[in-house]
Amino acid sequence: MTVKRYTEMAYTKADDMLFGNAKYPVKTKLGLEVGAGYVTAEVNYAPRPDTGQSKEKLVSEYRRLTTDIMARAVQIGFPSISLETEHVQQMTNNPTWGGEIAHVQKTIIEEYNEEYGIKCALRHTPGDIREERDYLALIGPKYDLLMESFEAVADGGADFLSIETMGGKEVLDYAILRNDMPGLIYSIGCLGSIDMTMIWQDIAKIAQKKGVIPAGDTDCSQANTAMFIAGGLLDKNLAHTLAIIARTISAARTLCGYEAGAKGPGKDCGYENTIVKSIAGVPIAQEGKSATCAHADVMGNLTMQCCDLWSNESVEYHGEFGGTSVQCWAQTLSMDAALMNVALNTGNGKLLRDMMMLSDRYRDPQGYILAYDNAWKVGNAIAKNGNDLYLRAKAAAAETVNLLNASKAEGKLQMSRFETNALADAEKAINALTDETDKFMSDMLAKYKSEIAVFKPEENYKF
Amino acid sequence: MDVDPSKILIRYNVQKEKAQTPEELAAEQYPKTEPAKSVYRAIFEGEEDDVVEGLKKAIDAGANAIKLIDDMLMPGMKVVTDLYDEGIIFLPNVMMSADAMLAGIEFCKEKSGSAPTPKGKVVCHVAEGDVHDIGKTIVAALLRAAGYEVVDLGRDVPVDEVVAAVKAEKPMMITGTALMTTTMYAFKEINDRLLEAGIKVPFQCGGGAVNQDFVETYELGVYGEEAAHAPQMADMILAGKGLEQLKDNFHMH
Ligand code: B12
Repeated sequence: MTVKRYTEMAYTKADDMLFGNAKYPVKTKLGLEVGAGYVTAEVNYAPRPDTGQSKEKLVSEYRRLTTDIMARAVQIGFPSISLETEHVQQMTNNPTWGGEIAHVQKTIIEEYNEEYGIKCALRHTPGDIREERDYLALIGPKYDLLMESFEAVADGGADFLSIETMGGKEVLDYAILRNDMPGLIYSIGCLGSIDMTMIWQDIAKIAQKKGVIPAGDTDCSQANTAMFIAGGLLDKNLAHTLAIIARTISAARTLCGYEAGAKGPGKDCGYENTIVKSIAGVPIAQEGKSATCAHADVMGNLTMQCCDLWSNESVEYHGEFGGTSVQCWAQTLSMDAALMNVALNTGNGKLLRDMMMLSDRYRDPQGYILAYDNAWKVGNAIAKNGNDLYLRAKAAAAETVNLLNASKAEGKLQMSRFETNALADAEKAINALTDETDKFMSDMLAKYKSEIAVFKPEENYKF
Repeated sequence: MDVDPSKILIRYNVQKEKAQTPEELAAEQYPKTEPAKSVYRAIFEGEEDDVVEGLKKAIDAGANAIKLIDDMLMPGMKVVTDLYDEGIIFLPNVMMSADAMLAGIEFCKEKSGSAPTPKGKVVCHVAEGDVHDIGKTIVAALLRAAGYEVVDLGRDVPVDEVVAAVKAEKPMMITGTALMTTTMYAFKEINDRLLEAGIKVPFQCGGGAVNQDFVETYELGVYGEEAAHAPQMADMILAGKGLEQLKDNFHMH
């Protein structure tokens, strides 16, 4: 696959971006179109811990939960549904397990499609197993095993192939606890992008060969780590102004998947996806208020603003008063989707979008920057520097700082002194960065090779 | 369309902020005399070179290098960790201050040719099968910052290895981190193996997946909700508190 860097925006203006609508929709064999004028729920789930002991137990768990979801979807009258299976490690390490589970799930989904005409999709997300106990092993036998897993789930019937890759994580884990801005740009924007560019060409090849859709990645391992360390308003582990800089840099990284052949829908936990969509025009999954079963964050409504699939991130399969957990969340998500689809069908889409966006826009610096108008501006800064991985990551960081600084005049986004101080330090660090990519890359290589014992640049990034 | 945010949300972090800056609050705690004052400030600012500079001056003036660890470095670091506990400064400041303090300890060790006696030893690990190690790294850093020696076994640590390390290192306390419901059961196994061997060391367990109800199901377990609870618990053990008192204190739910 050839890699084509984005240097222009898919959307010429931010206001054109809207949930349920993507410039380049995708369509599954069971009739689900994503980004073609409506929003669909994407249900996520995890097997109960004790079912991981054998393939038989896991297969039976996924059979039951898939049937539960489909049954609820037709009982309540939902026109479409997507299911995402994020692998537990055993399923990726043993490609036949993942393959068989995909097959069992797809068979059930097809039966419902045939009987009721409900439009469906199945996403499989193998785990990024490319690591040894103490360090990343991005290239080598584990890479090959991971590719086998993708082939197996595609053979089994997965419509969308996804993954949450971990390139650069060994440097991010170190940098993020030290407010290290060059480290964030290097780990996410450079190392992460290099790894994604490599792996997504291969995933896209497999997808093409098998006739399925290479969907997309998320910077879960880095930007979400930053978001979780930053935590709630009163947590003191990381300034939220830095967490959002990590996030905007991650948009430049997640974009690499689409440059290497991915088509969307992007993965739910990529909170960078609104930025990515503004550049690439691909459909995206998002999560927020209906993923509180999986995590807490400060922007539950805003993330709906431009979503095409609407996800609950993950819930353990078990009983609730309202049915099994997957049925409850499938219903919640689908009801959210129904409301968005009413808005689209009555000409009120943009009104609802703006209401959802405004409910979180001033809650936190993260929501402020991810609000679609600002997200678009960050996207534009990335696209303008699109051909250079380092410069576009740096541009994303610089634009984020500019937007946050500019917000002070308006006075609606209140920032604590911690947040403004961290922002000022970040600004200083960004201004001090070189414009020469080669120099940056060699400086960082030398620095982190000496400071981080588990950083293995030659083996993992072919330096 | 826009909204007046004060009608729909409250930025409690902004509202609760103290009038004084962290720098001012830290300075209130500095000693009056030099070079101690500069060492405290250098630790707060995370400036390794300035820490060493100040220590040099103190040693030149006749101070005992090893005693400086307890007299200047530890109390200087305590200013920082207290401000973190009070929610006044952020974790990266603590990390950078701890790095500066540790550089100071190394310098004192070199100068004196001897090693200080640490407050106590703690074995830290992430549960078998689990690679989520940032919480553990924070816990280890805060313990070190509080003057404890940390044996960091890393992530995805087999039960056998934890048990062997506890037998070999004889720590005053163990910490375990798990972020997955599938991996936290290893804590129970470690508990059983230690009890079998007649070892009764308090075992503080935390991390996203872990909750108090689960930790209460095994004897040695004490639930740790926030990383800052690890040095707090170590301090309580040093002060002679037993398992039941620890549970009383940390089982808040
Ligand atoms: C970042 C992250 C990752 C990163 C980890 C990077 C790293 N170096 O740690 C990566 C990308 C590698 C990753 C991988 C996976 N992840 Co993950 N990950 C997360 C995420 C988004 C944030 C975790 C985090 O770092 N939080 C911040 C830290 C600071 O918090 P913390 O560790 O809890 O620590 C705090 C306290 O708990 C406390 N603490 C911690 N330990 C201790 C100990 C003591 C003694 C004390 C006192 C206090 C204490 O101190 C800290 C600060 O106060 C969570 C989401 C979530 N909801 O938590 C998912 C999550 C944990 N991951 C999950 C999953 C499923 C996975 C994968 C299996 C995905 C896959 N399919 O491959 C793999 C697991 C691989 C493996 N074998 O472990 C699930 C787990 C679900 C479950 N079964 O329970 C979660 C909950 C996401 C979800 N909602 O589905 N993940």
